[in-house]
Amino acid sequence: MAVVDAPTSRTGDRAPGFGRPSMGFIFWLSVTWILLVVLAAALADVVPLRDPDALGVRTGEIERFETPGKNAWFGGDGQGRDLFAQVIHGARPAMVLSAAVTSIGGSLGVLVGVVAGYFRGRTDSVIMGVAEIMFAFPAIILLFAVSAVWGMTMAILIPAMAILAVPGYARIVRGVTIALAERDFVDAARAMGASRSRVVIKELLPLVALPAIAFGFLGFGLVIATEGALAFLGLGLEQRTWGSLIAGGQGLIREAPHLALIPATAMFLTIMAFNYVGDGIRELIDPRPIVVGRKRKADGHDPAISAASDALLSIRDLTTSFPTAGGTVTAVDGVSLDVRTGRSVGIVGESGSGKTMLLRSITGAFPVLGVQRTGRVVVDGTDLLTASPAQRSTMLGTEIGIVSQNPLTALNPVRTVGSQLIEVMRVHREISKAAARARAIESLAQVGIPQPDQRVDMYPHQLSGGMRQRVTIALALANEPRLLLADEPTTALDVTIQDQILRLLSALCEQRDMALVLVTHDLQVVRGWTDDVAVMYGGQIVEAGPTAAVFDDPQHQYTQALLASTPRLDLRPHSRLAAIEGQPPSLVAPPPGCRFAARCTIADDRCRAEDPMPVQIRDREFRCWYPGTGKVT
Amino acid sequence: MAGTGHAHLRLDDPNILLRVRDLVVEFPAGKGQVVHAVSGVSIDLARGETLGVVGESGCGKTTLGRAVMRLEDAQSGTIEFRDHDLFGLGGSELAVKRRDMQMIFQDPVSSLNPRRRVRDLVREGLEIWGNESGPFSDARVEAILAAVGLAGESVGERRPHEFSGGQCQRICIARALVMDPEVLILDEPVSALDVSVQAQILNLLEDLKVEFGLTMVFVSHDLAVVRNVSDRVMVMYLGKVCEVANTERLFDAPAHPYSRALLASIPGHELNLPDASTLISGELPSPIEPPSGCRFRTRCPMATEECAEREPELREVAVGQFVACHHA
Repeated sequence: MAVVDAPTSRTGDRAPGFGRPSMGFIFWLSVTWILLVVLAAALADVVPLRDPDALGVRTGEIERFETPGKNAWFGGDGQGRDLFAQVIHGARPAMVLSAAVTSIGGSLGVLVGVVAGYFRGRTDSVIMGVAEIMFAFPAIILLFAVSAVWGMTMAILIPAMAILAVPGYARIVRGVTIALAERDFVDAARAMGASRSRVVIKELLPLVALPAIAFGFLGFGLVIATEGALAFLGLGLEQRTWGSLIAGGQGLIREAPHLALIPATAMFLTIMAFNYVGDGIRELIDPRPIVVGRKRKADGHDPAISAASDALLSIRDLTTSFPTAGGTVTAVDGVSLDVRTGRSVGIVGESGSGKTMLLRSITGAFPVLGVQRTGRVVVDGTDLLTASPAQRSTMLGTEIGIVSQNPLTALNPVRTVGSQLIEVMRVHREISKAAARARAIESLAQVGIPQPDQRVDMYPHQLSGGMRQRVTIALALANEPRLLLADEPTTALDVTIQDQILRLLSALCEQRDMALVLVTHDLQVVRGWTDDVAVMYGGQIVEAGPTAAVFDDPQHQYTQALLASTPRLDLRPHSRLAAIEGQPPSLVAPPPGCRFAARCTIADDRCRAEDPMPVQIRDREFRCWYPGTGKVT
Repeated sequence: MAGTGHAHLRLDDPNILLRVRDLVVEFPAGKGQVVHAVSGVSIDLARGETLGVVGESGCGKTTLGRAVMRLEDAQSGTIEFRDHDLFGLGGSELAVKRRDMQMIFQDPVSSLNPRRRVRDLVREGLEIWGNESGPFSDARVEAILAAVGLAGESVGERRPHEFSGGQCQRICIARALVMDPEVLILDEPVSALDVSVQAQILNLLEDLKVEFGLTMVFVSHDLAVVRNVSDRVMVMYLGKVCEVANTERLFDAPAHPYSRALLASIPGHELNLPDASTLISGELPSPIEPPSGCRFRTRCPMATEECAEREPELREVAVGQFVACHHA
């Protein structure tokens, strides 16, 4: 259920079950291979192998250029030495070199990166400047120079390659650190009196360690490959390595291809394995929420909001579900709702109640894949669930307008306000550019934007938040829709601007005889600005009716609890609020009976066992076994 | 308005724990320009009191809270905490003097290091200050976790992502309380939470205030929440103070034109105020070049020439109500 209201920024009081993503077959195969190579490196002297230096031509055990087979698994080289033993022994320098380079270079790089990313400023400029210079210098040429001066031994190669590895780690870690340092926990630690070095050591280093380790695995592979390249160019280590084996075999590729191919394959598989494991660890870094539970059967329950014949939007028994790693989430569960022309309906609920998914189920635009909808969503006689894509897109452009929470993401940042308005108009109707521009200016004026003839040529970033939201409303209204869907349209705005926007929406509804569906978490917005209200909880509408009636005399226990927990202006300061204890139900495996039963103060066995029958009294309805004041039934 | 002045400071009150005078915080905005985030704000806090700070984006309320904690550097002003001036201090000296002030942030999830266990997060303060380790600190951590409603053996072993937003905010509060602070600065502590959870946290804060003898600065844009928790409320606009008054007085009879506009904008309110649209117009001016005189004058229906020429100072218009406006 964590995903349901993902587009809003609020966090509900629920702790979803968390789990690790499963790593897959290739990951574990790679781990196994790495373990084998490590074992080979460690135990090459212990396991009963032939002596890699024993000349087969003398001992008679292996012939010159013997092909791989039963006698010698990997065959023999030009002097009858056992290639299998040579490859096993070659694993050791590969492992020692890459482990040393990665751990030394990596630790230095992490430290440098954290310091640069946390302290920023001059420290950062100097460190990153040096790193850029090192990046610009081809590593292999540097290594040539080093080997030319000091020769090529482990003692030379390890520090040289470690230093070359530092900028790569530093750059990655610096990026991660900058992102982390903006989070509040760094400020929280400072506020508690933690010194800067403590922040680096205690708060930041543990967090950057995992990305650095992931990068380290990739680096492991790179070190092995680099050593191979050096050996290939004749500048390799003086001891036997996979690189030297390949270099030795390459001249004989026609006569004895196994001499180069087998060590090359060993090297290739090892590099691949490190890369796969590195990628796998990177995926582990963000523990993603996985809702744990079992799949629940669809419920063909028909709730009882009556079919008003003049409804512009009529939703019947709508169920919306989508798969997650933890099971199928039923975000909207058997919802029916009618919205008449000229009315505004507030859909109110907390995070995870399904209110945003209900709105998205009307338009069919979902932030997740694999969403299934059943039921009917009829707008002006057309069922949007069965309509053809072309029909649906025409409806969305002309009959239905959409206003989203964040005007900045709803607008294209690189195009002027006017060009976006003109485009929307010209997609759905025959209208000249000049006429569309005139209409665009007019529509900006209608949504209360001062100097519309100048603002029309501005880009979204040149406007304030309130003005941007007015522009998205103008866009939604461009083709004179009869139904306006608004998802938290004022949540990102200040209260004085919110007042202006809600006033505007309400006036437009009246002037144009338009229906408005307003999704919000804010009870006061609903109370102040809508005709009707539908309260959602656990994917269902638990209570609906005229706003004033529902707020004055709430029937469902959840509605009552929600209102009681809201701070009010008519209460004395320091009044105790009636908090709702507990957490909302799982949408993967909702409990039987009333969804609110677990948190309700008067629930009994019946509430926990039986779904409450929807009750309809005139224009109000609710599903609660003990409505109103409680158990006086 | 939006003025300066000290009329609202209770200079003779021996109970004053924190006194901030003429605090100025400016941020560089490039090309030699500066953002005037907080421009000469003074506050005082009496022991045991909760000061609500309200205003819209850009009014400087968050910056004020952070500057008092010295998480932002102020350009000038004084921050007297129990007779020590924190203003010029730095490094370990500051850390020692500021030990009794703690801060709670808006986003509880981002305020907790995701890799650390709850017990270590809460124990952090004790570790920094050296009286860690041993059964004493473990018992204290357990007691504090129980006090914020997170009892249970396994809580301390878990990591933040296993908790909901409301529970994370409880952990943040526990982390602050373990330091046994006198002053708690809360920056929008319930804004990221659902209504039902918000009520839990607000009740918890009221309980803890009594239990731990806390004095609070509660920064929020939500006027109903501020009314519920505050003894005194300060309204800010564009880096200046508009009005300071006892909570009920402010909500019953807001005197500053901006306070009136702000209250009238609360959706579904039943206050005796005209439509907000008649009380405020236009848009927030740039904080880089704020208006002369009263900063609210460009949007105020009552503005006159005097408002452009002379900055209004806070003055007492009723008992316990201080307003910076020439016309209130």
